[in-house]
Amino acid sequence: MERFYEKLAEVMDVDAVKESDVLAEFPEWDSLTALSVIAMIGAEYGVDLVAADLKNAGTARALCDLVNSKRQAVK
Amino acid sequence: MNFQFTHRKISGLLGIVPANARSFVDEMANFQFPLQRSLKLKEVMGYDQHRIVDGPICASDLACFGMEHLFRNGLLGRDNFDALLVVTQSPDYFMPPTSSVIQGRLALKHDMFCMDINQGCAGFVIGLIEAFMLLEQPSIRKVVLINVDVLSRKVSPKDRNSYPLIGDAAAIAVVERSADATPIHANLKMDGARREALMIPAGGFREPSSPETAALEDDGENNLRARDNLRMDGSAVFNFVQVEVPPMIEALLETAQWRVEDVDYFLFHQPNRFMLQKLADRMKVPYEKMPSNVVEHYGNSSGVTIPMVIVHNLREQLSRTAVRACLAGFGVGLTWTSMLLPLGPLDFCDLVEFP
Repeated sequence: MERFYEKLAEVMDVDAVKESDVLAEFPEWDSLTALSVIAMIGAEYGVDLVAADLKNAGTARALCDLVNSKRQAVK
Repeated sequence: MNFQFTHRKISGLLGIVPANARSFVDEMANFQFPLQRSLKLKEVMGYDQHRIVDGPICASDLACFGMEHLFRNGLLGRDNFDALLVVTQSPDYFMPPTSSVIQGRLALKHDMFCMDINQGCAGFVIGLIEAFMLLEQPSIRKVVLINVDVLSRKVSPKDRNSYPLIGDAAAIAVVERSADATPIHANLKMDGARREALMIPAGGFREPSSPETAALEDDGENNLRARDNLRMDGSAVFNFVQVEVPPMIEALLETAQWRVEDVDYFLFHQPNRFMLQKLADRMKVPYEKMPSNVVEHYGNSSGVTIPMVIVHNLREQLSRTAVRACLAGFGVGLTWTSMLLPLGPLDFCDLVEFP
């Protein structure tokens, strides 16, 4: 998961994303960005999220943890 | 559930689109979004042009125009088919059925099984399943399957969620018996518990249209639409497609004992390019085997998009040869369905414009 934040930044079209950043506070954040993030997480990590998961997660770190925990559950 | 058929084929396919083309760039000003964000949406989703009816054009207008084209050019005999299936969610009237309207306007014979099917994005595959079943009756020689929708008339021009992608179109497929004993496999699932993800809330008997249902409301993300308008929960639909469609195709291939490589083309419903490419990625299907260019040229015309993807991309090829096709439709209901079948050579495969 070390490249998670890089991939997040790439798909969100921003320079960098830090652990403590709240995703919804980026000016670039909208439903299209949310879909792009969901698609990236599905393709890269095999985890299916819904838009509400992103909203509830809040920070990038919390999202990373959520993806991790769902991956563990699958294994 | 699974279906299996043999000795059935599509023998001809005609697409009908309104000549009236609108461009996303021209319509951006209607949306309450910064232009930069709208341009990003255009790029990611693959929006460009869409075809929508200009004025109060109805489903039967597009359908009758296409049928007359077939009659006039000797591609279909007026008395050579015995069933008329019309799949639409934008009927001319609540009653009578649009299939009866079309039968009457074309002065078709009375020995005719006319039926409307209320289905959307899964409507082409559902229509084929019904047509194949009707052909079990010896008295039915050919089935004319018409998919048609003019849903642009129900979408708010200020709803960036749905308006840029909507398209109006019709398609006529002639379905008949074939000497080919190759099994045609299909599968289908439905989930009415998720019915609100795609709906027109008002205008039916549950919530009749009124001045209140015509008032524009904000969906919370700057999209303005009324309860009389089509509304789509975009992220719920996206999630539904990504979660349900790949396992459905996997199960279909498994039943047929086919691998992804055995399929020449994945001819799927066309919600937008983004969703199709994500599906292709997930299913490990190369993009060239899954065309995703219907929305950028014509818009998403609900149950008409599978015929549109065929006539737009495979017109020449299917006039000469056959391909192994995997069709899939998914949407309103919710409904998701897929079919593996040999397609072509077709007696006709064309696209005409409704003036």
